Amino acid sequence: MGLPESETREIEAFLFLEARLADESRYDEWEALWTPDALYWVPRRPDLDPEKEVSHIYDNRQRISTRIRQLKSGFRHSQTPASPMRRVLSNIEIAGTGPGSYEAGANFMLMELAIQSTRNMNFWGGRILYSLRREEGQLRMAVKKILLIDADEPIANLAFLI
Amino acid sequence: MGLQQNIAPISYDALVQRDRVHGRLYTDPNIFSEEMDRIYHKGWVFAGHTSEVPDIGDYQRRQIGQQPVLITRDAKNDVKLLFNRCTHRGNMICARDSGNAATFVCPYHGWTFAVGGELRGMPMPGGMGSSYDKSALGLAEVPRVHIYRGFIFASLAHEGQSFDDYIGKAKQLLDRACDLSPEGEMELSAGWLKHRFHANWKMLPENNTDGYHVKVAHASLLRSTNAFGSLAFDEEKGDSSVNRDWGGGHTELDIAPRYRNTNKPFQWFGGVPEAKLPNYVARMEQTYGRELARKRMIDGPPHAIIFPNLFLAELNISFVAPVSANQVVQYYTPMLLKGAPEINARALRQTEGAMGPGSFLLPDDACLSERNQLGLAAQSPEWLDLRRGMEREYVDPENGLLSSNVSDETTNRAFWKQYLHVMSGAA
Repeated sequence: MGLPESETREIEAFLFLEARLADESRYDEWEALWTPDALYWVPRRPDLDPEKEVSHIYDNRQRISTRIRQLKSGFRHSQTPASPMRRVLSNIEIAGTGPGSYEAGANFMLMELAIQSTRNMNFWGGRILYSLRREEGQLRMAVKKILLIDADEPIANLAFLI
Repeated sequence: MGLQQNIAPISYDALVQRDRVHGRLYTDPNIFSEEMDRIYHKGWVFAGHTSEVPDIGDYQRRQIGQQPVLITRDAKNDVKLLFNRCTHRGNMICARDSGNAATFVCPYHGWTFAVGGELRGMPMPGGMGSSYDKSALGLAEVPRVHIYRGFIFASLAHEGQSFDDYIGKAKQLLDRACDLSPEGEMELSAGWLKHRFHANWKMLPENNTDGYHVKVAHASLLRSTNAFGSLAFDEEKGDSSVNRDWGGGHTELDIAPRYRNTNKPFQWFGGVPEAKLPNYVARMEQTYGRELARKRMIDGPPHAIIFPNLFLAELNISFVAPVSANQVVQYYTPMLLKGAPEINARALRQTEGAMGPGSFLLPDDACLSERNQLGLAAQSPEWLDLRRGMEREYVDPENGLLSSNVSDETTNRAFWKQYLHVMSGAA
């Protein structure tokens, strides 16, 4: 059930926009992309049961708001200043799952400069799984599940928007 | 010249003083190496929890100091601590973090060991000759292991301080955590978050019972949500939390006095009303009786360090694994209580909120410890100041513990007192 080319392009454009807003720490614009039933999730393993095991991030909509408030507070030391970042999305696959609803997957590579402390260039990578929905004509993100390759290894601060 | 500097014995008495410690303690690789030897390879350290290997054949990889070990449950249902090293030519025998196995097979020459460590066999054993004794070639066992209420402590030395001497009164802190379960046990089954800090390992136990930093270092959290109210340490606003020296380097930020002032249970659990946790309250009262159950539900879990590497972090269990003088990994898992599903569901989400590299709390500690390490590259001033509270700390008549205001450095001085004791060869 291939999507029409125009819809595929629209969804890709949405994914690129989301990536750029995260890269540039444009917190309010990024937050506005979410649906009310949002889930922002970085599990330790792809098949992890979140009711039984701990994840790095398991934010519902309210926690996303708290996260953004904290980042904007001016006292989030681990993101003061915000990490300069750029990420690349590739291997994008999109499927329609109903009227106005979609599942997408993309590989990503992210270079993040830990400018607040060590100035290490951190290299993050893996696959992102998205659930997207059209609400009042606008594409919105309901789920962003980030499967880091090294999620179960010792990792550096994930205080930026991944 | 450099060589001579390296072999000169390090005088810890000169570097650790009562009201200050020398910056070199955090940066010198020779000191790190001696710490691994004296604190981590000879002394007692936290290694894991029996609930991490619930079934026969289960195993977990761990590091004790700089040495790779395996926690396993053998065929007789006993918990074993084994060095993760083939007895033939030294290959690391197990590469997976955790799992269940009947045997460990060395991928190099095929020597095969039972999960309890016994050598089962090898290809072409005839070549081993007449001196071959299978029973002498099992995986090496960690010399001393002590399990207390599921907490596995280990010492890699055959002889030394007894476990009871090491843990001392701080056993009560482990009890306080376990006794929040109506079955008296915890279950660390939610997996570990692993967080890399480019900082010296000692900053973590120091920071974890430092009540002074919270208001500043975690200002962004305290301004963004009320969900972590236990951390609002502020003696100038009437907070009656105290910090305590339990002896042996074990330290605590004791929040219970604040909770007792409210005379309400679950202030440590977001102030949830009792009516929302009916099964938990009923089971606690059933097991411990009404009065004791209520006391435990008011006091809540400990916020304490068991020297050198275990952090009883309220609803979390955490430990540090030193990597080098300027790198350490901190592990965190939710403290799940047997028989308390109502608590556990929320504890999982609390750990994610507070403890991981992606959480609202610890990334700031990690960042600040890294900046501490960078600042210490400056060799002037030479010392870190630890005098806060020296003129007002007191022995608490209720428990005989040296105690002080929650913002004081009594806990830090307690850590360094034990450090000096061990590093100068007294323990």
